[in-house]
Amino acid sequence: MSGTLADMAPEQPRSAAAPAAREPGEVLLSLVRREFWEHRALWLAPLVVTALLALCAAIGRIHLDVDDATRVQGEAQRVAVFTIIQWVLAMPLYVAAMFVVSFYLLDCLYAERKDRSILFWKSLPVSDGLTVCSKMLVALVVVPLGVFALALLAHLLYTAILGTRVLIGTLPPVFSWNTYEWLRTELVMFLVTVLAVLWYAPLAGYLLVMSSWVRRSPMLLATLPLVLAPILEWVAFGTGHVMDFINYRLNGIWWLLGVHNTRIITKHGLASVGTALEALSFRAVLTSIDLWLGLVVTAALVCAAIRIRRYRDDS
Amino acid sequence: MTAVIEARGLTKSYGATRALDGLSFSVEPGRIVGLIGPNGAGKTTALKAILGLTTFTGELRVLGLDPCRERDALMRDVCFIADVAVLPRWLRVSQALDFVGGVHPRFDRTVAENFLRKTDIHMGSRVRELSKGMVTQLHLALVLAIDARLLVLDEPTLGLDLLYRRSFYDTLLNDYFDKQRTILLTTHQVEEVENLLTDVIFVNHGRVALSASVEDLGSRYQQLTLAAEQAARARALQPFYEREVFGRVAMFFEGRTPAELGTFGELRTPSIADLFVAKMQGTGSR
Repeated sequence: MSGTLADMAPEQPRSAAAPAAREPGEVLLSLVRREFWEHRALWLAPLVVTALLALCAAIGRIHLDVDDATRVQGEAQRVAVFTIIQWVLAMPLYVAAMFVVSFYLLDCLYAERKDRSILFWKSLPVSDGLTVCSKMLVALVVVPLGVFALALLAHLLYTAILGTRVLIGTLPPVFSWNTYEWLRTELVMFLVTVLAVLWYAPLAGYLLVMSSWVRRSPMLLATLPLVLAPILEWVAFGTGHVMDFINYRLNGIWWLLGVHNTRIITKHGLASVGTALEALSFRAVLTSIDLWLGLVVTAALVCAAIRIRRYRDDS
Repeated sequence: MTAVIEARGLTKSYGATRALDGLSFSVEPGRIVGLIGPNGAGKTTALKAILGLTTFTGELRVLGLDPCRERDALMRDVCFIADVAVLPRWLRVSQALDFVGGVHPRFDRTVAENFLRKTDIHMGSRVRELSKGMVTQLHLALVLAIDARLLVLDEPTLGLDLLYRRSFYDTLLNDYFDKQRTILLTTHQVEEVENLLTDVIFVNHGRVALSASVEDLGSRYQQLTLAAEQAARARALQPFYEREVFGRVAMFFEGRTPAELGTFGELRTPSIADLFVAKMQGTGSR
């Protein structure tokens, strides 16, 4: 038994000493790329929606719901229609991204436990903190900014398609390009995107914690408390505070912004989307204590998700 | 040289079950150590503690670090294959190399590529398209390319056929192991790693039943095969285990000299597998 094969191993190390650590930024970049490899819906869904909208722009009709279509006369009205098209065609992209990101957050820390690949990820020198943060970064920064950029580029494509149709005469000339109003509409969308991300961050944190915590059916278990808690409160106390709270966290940002104050269709005709810059109260959202409390809660939820991933021992 | 792993009194309970019950052992650098024990002996829990994947009470230093508190620093010098088939099924081979290269400071991509070239694995394949043996080869390729000081393998060849198992261990020895590196592994297929190991640690009921270098086993343990009629006299020397095969009796002794035993029958050093069975089932086990 003496003299095993291992005794014949070389005395010297096979390779020279390597650097001690990678830069956190470099690691984070790899982690973010990884998310888009695994969750392909994150980039596929917005691209599919863009393609469908381009198709709509190519063959669809533009229907303007105003009392008197003849009012769409004059340059100002045509610019307003232009910005409305810009806004309307961007919305489906944002809605799709919201759904995809929600499903992504519910799945990102659950899937790795389900397929047991967590043991592989944990065999690499990447901290749980950085891993969990990379997922929040994808959900709250990379995808929203990516969707904003895609919507911007897609709008140029739609404009080219619609413009061509006007030129060949299959579409009435109801809109005209105006760079200033175009930029103003983009600014509205950018500001609203940023504020919406900040407002909905705690919801993202909640989904992330559920993803790291539940043993099965994250979708069901994440929605159950949101449905059961208001019902239980109503049955037990006959009050609706929980429901009001949930409603506020879901819709409060639009009340604070004062979306009801914006009028695209007025009795004087159509207003361009850029007028929302004056009508919407961005300051009311930014100075709302609820926005900042929500961000504190988000930080706590992210810490909870990190801790759960770090100390969970059921793989 | 300081020990790579120094464990003292490791204890861990899952509910009423004691997975680890005061486990103590140490692993020196440049060794290939087999952590061997029956199902539920606490091997995997011990490995998880070493890798900072679970909490425990007791003292544990791995490469001089506390695996629980200093896990992130520890993982730069430690590699592990937890089990076959833990590579995510959606991952492409090229993505696996990209990712590990992107996060691990000690990953040498060319080593992994050279190894993969010798296999049937294509860069564009997804893990879900590979056979179990190929997934293990891919994982091995990643591990070979990482310049780690400690490699931990938990049943790395479970469910693989003989050819894959043999080439797995051959590759480890030929392309990976050197005197600066340490390998700690658990396996049920003791026969296959028998001439690979430099040290064995038998674990049972969360405690160490035996810890020795393979060279020491030869001088500490003897297996005596003798005719059944001689058995009664030999029993006076207190074998810790005996079994009967084809009318002959095999007895296992600890700390007896060949001079004491040689007169009864045929004497030899027990294989690790035989010694394991003897230790687990014999009166000597706790």
